[in-house]
Amino acid sequence: MTTSVVAPCYVFGVVRAGTPVPAVDAAGPAAGLRLVEAGDLAAIVGSPPGDRPLGRAVDLVAHDQVLGAFVAAGTTVVPLQFGALLADESAVVEDILTVRGDELRAELEKVGDCVQYTVKVRYEQDEVLREVLAAHPEIARLRRRSDSDSAESFDRSVRLGELVVRAIEELRPADAGTVLDEIGGVADVHVHDASAPEDVLNAALLVERGQADAFERRLENAAQAHHPRLRISLFGPSPAYDFVGRT
Amino acid sequence: MTSAIQQRRGGYLDRPSPSSLADVVEVILDKGLVIDAYVRVSLVGIELLTIDARIVIASVDTYLRFAEATNRLDLYEHGGKDLGDLAQSVTKGGAEGKVGGAIDAGKQKVGELLHGSDDDEEDDSPPSSRASGDGQRRSRPRKAAARRRPQPDEGE
Repeated sequence: MTTSVVAPCYVFGVVRAGTPVPAVDAAGPAAGLRLVEAGDLAAIVGSPPGDRPLGRAVDLVAHDQVLGAFVAAGTTVVPLQFGALLADESAVVEDILTVRGDELRAELEKVGDCVQYTVKVRYEQDEVLREVLAAHPEIARLRRRSDSDSAESFDRSVRLGELVVRAIEELRPADAGTVLDEIGGVADVHVHDASAPEDVLNAALLVERGQADAFERRLENAAQAHHPRLRISLFGPSPAYDFVGRT
Repeated sequence: MTSAIQQRRGGYLDRPSPSSLADVVEVILDKGLVIDAYVRVSLVGIELLTIDARIVIASVDTYLRFAEATNRLDLYEHGGKDLGDLAQSVTKGGAEGKVGGAIDAGKQKVGELLHGSDDDEEDDSPPSSRASGDGQRRSRPRKAAARRRPQPDEGE
């Protein structure tokens, strides 16, 4: 494979120089996957498709797959935000590895031997609705007995739904705290805002590789303990997306 | 991957493998180290979609979906036939990480639209494993309703 000096470079992330490049079966900018090194640092670089702009779903998935392959191989990776496209390899060396060198070394140090897990906890719909109705008789009384399309019925439905959503939101802080306590033992936590009313917790957790098994067991235990009221999903291990570049 | 599958068999913890496209978007979008020097690529509306999905929380659309779910629960308790079946399938889905009904529409929308914008031959992306209950009475999220973002609680 020949690499033209002027070929644009898509940069996935940064690792330490000398890191082996894992085999990755990914599309889009993962073509020609290689390292561009400068001193003790190396950028993970691929060649973006020449016939279309970047930004499709396959590109986003490739970004995750490439970085994930480095993480799976045990490498410490600083992921760049999706979309880092530079003019050529010398720009990668200058604009990223040189200009940002100290910062990148600090980030590599910070990520260290940790990986990220993303935990999502949601209320099981029927369970939480029953709970809300049992705790709030005034909400239960608003339930509609027949389907009619009148304006009154519409307003009543909106009101009912709003009260239900608010009642669920009142349950959230305590439940989120309980699950976080049960998970415990992580290096860092980044809790995201809820993105749906039935979300209990959406958090990125930084976990040392050596603690990963114990961490996964604790989550499995929590999932069992809270079944069927809460549904717990686990994503990862993945690159420390949430824990780099935070000032 | 095999370890993830084995984990799943363990029982209650849901470990989607491979993750759905919507999950990937949620985990990685706008995260990671930002390099000022780079040419920011066009995201074909992906960022906008994510914002849209978040707006849905406090909308009339959301309230109506919860009202519908609550009313359905009512009928289920009284032994309604098809609604009983629906509730049963939701319960069963719990262990398999299936999305529970229309309430998940915000995220569902992101997934659908992303798939829609990705219609080239490389569409071997993960069959969004979490949201496979499409056969049911899932009401398609109404984009316009979400965008308009009425705020019924303002000024009350």
